Amino acid sequence: MPVNAEKEITKLWRNLHNAQSEICKTFYRWREVAIEVAGPDVKPLDIALKAAEMMGKDMGKNFLPRLNWLKGEETFMMNLGRALAGIWVTEGGTAMAEKGENPGEIFIRCTRCPWPTAAKEFGVPMEEVALTRERLFQTILEDVNVFFNINLKIEMLKAIPRGEGEYLLKLYKEE
Amino acid sequence: MAKVLFEWDYSSYPGAKAYPNLFKPIQMGNLMVPNRIKYAATEDNLNDHNGFITDADVAYMRSRAEGVVGGLCFMQGVYMDEAGKGQGYVGQAACWDDKYVEGLKRIADAIHGEKAIAGFQLMDCGRVGAVEVESGHGPSTVPQRLRIFKPMYEMTNAEVKEMVQQHVDAAKRGVEAGFDVMEISGIVGYLISNFVSSYTNRRTDEYGGDIRGRCQAMVEIIQGVKEVCGPDIPVGIRLCSEELLNDVKGNTPEESMETYKIAEEAGADYISCTLGWQESIFPVISRDIPQGNWLYLAKRAKENVKIPIQMAYRLFTPDKPDKAVADGGLDIWEICRSMIADPLMPKKVLEGREDEIRHCVACNLCLARLFRDAPMTCYINPRCAHEHDENFTPKPAEEEKEIMIVGAGPAGMECAYVAAQRGHEVHVYDKRGEVGGTLLDASRAPYGDEELMTCVNYQKTMCEKAGVQFHFNNEVTDELIADEMPDTVVLATGPVYPVIEDSEDRDDVVNVLDVLSGKAQVGETVVVWGNRKPGIGVALFLAKQGKKVTIVGKEKSAGFDINPSFKWRYMIYLKQNGVMAYNDCDIEELNDGEIIVKTYDGYRFPVKCDTVVVSEREANESLKKIVQAEGIELFVIGDALVPRNLSSAVHDGYRIGLRI
Repeated sequence: MPVNAEKEITKLWRNLHNAQSEICKTFYRWREVAIEVAGPDVKPLDIALKAAEMMGKDMGKNFLPRLNWLKGEETFMMNLGRALAGIWVTEGGTAMAEKGENPGEIFIRCTRCPWPTAAKEFGVPMEEVALTRERLFQTILEDVNVFFNINLKIEMLKAIPRGEGEYLLKLYKEE
Repeated sequence: MAKVLFEWDYSSYPGAKAYPNLFKPIQMGNLMVPNRIKYAATEDNLNDHNGFITDADVAYMRSRAEGVVGGLCFMQGVYMDEAGKGQGYVGQAACWDDKYVEGLKRIADAIHGEKAIAGFQLMDCGRVGAVEVESGHGPSTVPQRLRIFKPMYEMTNAEVKEMVQQHVDAAKRGVEAGFDVMEISGIVGYLISNFVSSYTNRRTDEYGGDIRGRCQAMVEIIQGVKEVCGPDIPVGIRLCSEELLNDVKGNTPEESMETYKIAEEAGADYISCTLGWQESIFPVISRDIPQGNWLYLAKRAKENVKIPIQMAYRLFTPDKPDKAVADGGLDIWEICRSMIADPLMPKKVLEGREDEIRHCVACNLCLARLFRDAPMTCYINPRCAHEHDENFTPKPAEEEKEIMIVGAGPAGMECAYVAAQRGHEVHVYDKRGEVGGTLLDASRAPYGDEELMTCVNYQKTMCEKAGVQFHFNNEVTDELIADEMPDTVVLATGPVYPVIEDSEDRDDVVNVLDVLSGKAQVGETVVVWGNRKPGIGVALFLAKQGKKVTIVGKEKSAGFDINPSFKWRYMIYLKQNGVMAYNDCDIEELNDGEIIVKTYDGYRFPVKCDTVVVSEREANESLKKIVQAEGIELFVIGDALVPRNLSSAVHDGYRIGLRI
């Protein structure tokens, strides 16, 4: 039986998108569980930030075997930026890493992000989405910094949930 | 006058004439070592989980002590802290209390019983430790690169001093147990290497900073251990000559040589030269590294220090170390995996029985087992770690039988010589004209697979010496079985290769063995069906010829049957050679110029190809019914039973050879 490429790709694409949308939804379902278990005295934002920290810490560990200082600082930073952008892409976003104007500076630009849409469904404030994203990336860097004995920072300059049209994060080396 | 523990005279042995440099004495500290051979300290996971020595470990060490024929025989490194942060292996021997001395004495006595020099090793596993506890200790809190290892926490200044004292106390216990040489382990990511390395030591106190500061803990340990050992017990250290950690800002080779000089200044009587850490991204000891590749590092070490230099690392045969000793580039040949594979390897060299050596095939299964908390085993030596077990020792057969073994591959050959040694009359039949079976073809795969043939060469010698009779170019049929009517038939025929539907008459569908042996014509765009080791081997074989190769296989990951300590090499080679692997897939259709691949969850896609190489295998059922119908005792072994690997073939053969 000949392969119907259009049918196969459509099926595969649809399933990929379903799986991607489940990533955000699963996070927010767990957020609701955690809020209920934690009780009324704990702020939802604190729970979300704590979750971002724990997830970031774990994701950072996955970065360690893949990064290589031998390729030079510039390539190292670009590879790190691409890996961070790759997280968004896996989740169903559109993101890329770009060289900054200054040496040791990389920008991560995300023009499509699934998180605000999912957050709306669960009644999550948009500012929480922005702060959680930023915290996630910051904690990913923690182990990377210690492991390679460097001091990299990441800062969110723009965010879609803040109505700024895109996310823009600056990854840079603090002297 | 240097101390002599045991008198050895090698002058009448052929090996001493062939390799005169390996069988001449050397002074280490104040001790005279009769030869240049050392069984290097090797973890075996054979002791109990509280660190006490077991019968299995004593027997394991005794056989290695016999092997070094008067040379140095080191037991595995002991951990020295009660908290177990320094314990890297579940069956590692402990030495943090006097209660362990009695067991350790059993090891020293066993080694002395073979007139060999007993070596004791102090090994805090540091970054690769804490196997039974939540976290480990190190000079600084540097995250682990590999998730298999526990998180590390920085030791306080007081804890560092306590750790130094633990080494000294353990050395004292080692001396009390009767050991003759003391060794400190500072390699592959263990604690001393963590202190020495710029990668893992970020301290600012006296144990950190520049290379001298980073070596301070090592210096204090050497000096403290020397003091308790006295003048007659040499104290050595194992140190990395190159860490191979440039990608994470580890020490430079120059800094590593500086550590050698500092160790010598501190009073070390010898240095064992090693390289790489367990988390290095470069291969060091796998089969794809040529023999003798690292000898230049021993030579460089000798140019930097005056004390004796020892080295293992891809030195499996005596010729290279003998020459290196003669050329002044090495002092002592360390042996590790080669004596796991054959504990009597150096003894056989001395006695001129090199053809009886079962050579290590550098598969690293032994290492993979240790990291998975399993007792030591060897891919090709079924007796390894069973030296204490009577059931693994060949005994004369109660009833002598006439045995027909069908297949002269590694399974059949192993079974043949073991059974023949036990007194059976053994006949091996093979349709080919030589021994080796499928290994003859499999060993043509690239990246060192030719070393696999050493297994068959060994078996052939053993068969010949045990009086096994070979019948080559002789395919076993039901008539032959009926004519011979042996008491026992062992089917070691190897696997069969399944036929893809509707491919019977196609010349573009070929068998993996025919490809490797050069019998089959293969086009430029190839699909290999099967993603286990045979599939990977043939894929690399073809990719090396410049062909575009795609692997399609049912296993969830390619090479799932290859042990993890070696598999990573193959994954890199597949990538380097541009081989694409579709795992969890099967071939659904075979068309002209393409196949249709179907994924486990039903997606279908075409892959262009002009040849399909079948490397999937199935158990071989032929002859089974015929033998059973004749009422003859029957055993099926190796890939004929279940297609697996060389190791399973050898182990099957050995066990059945013992049982018949």
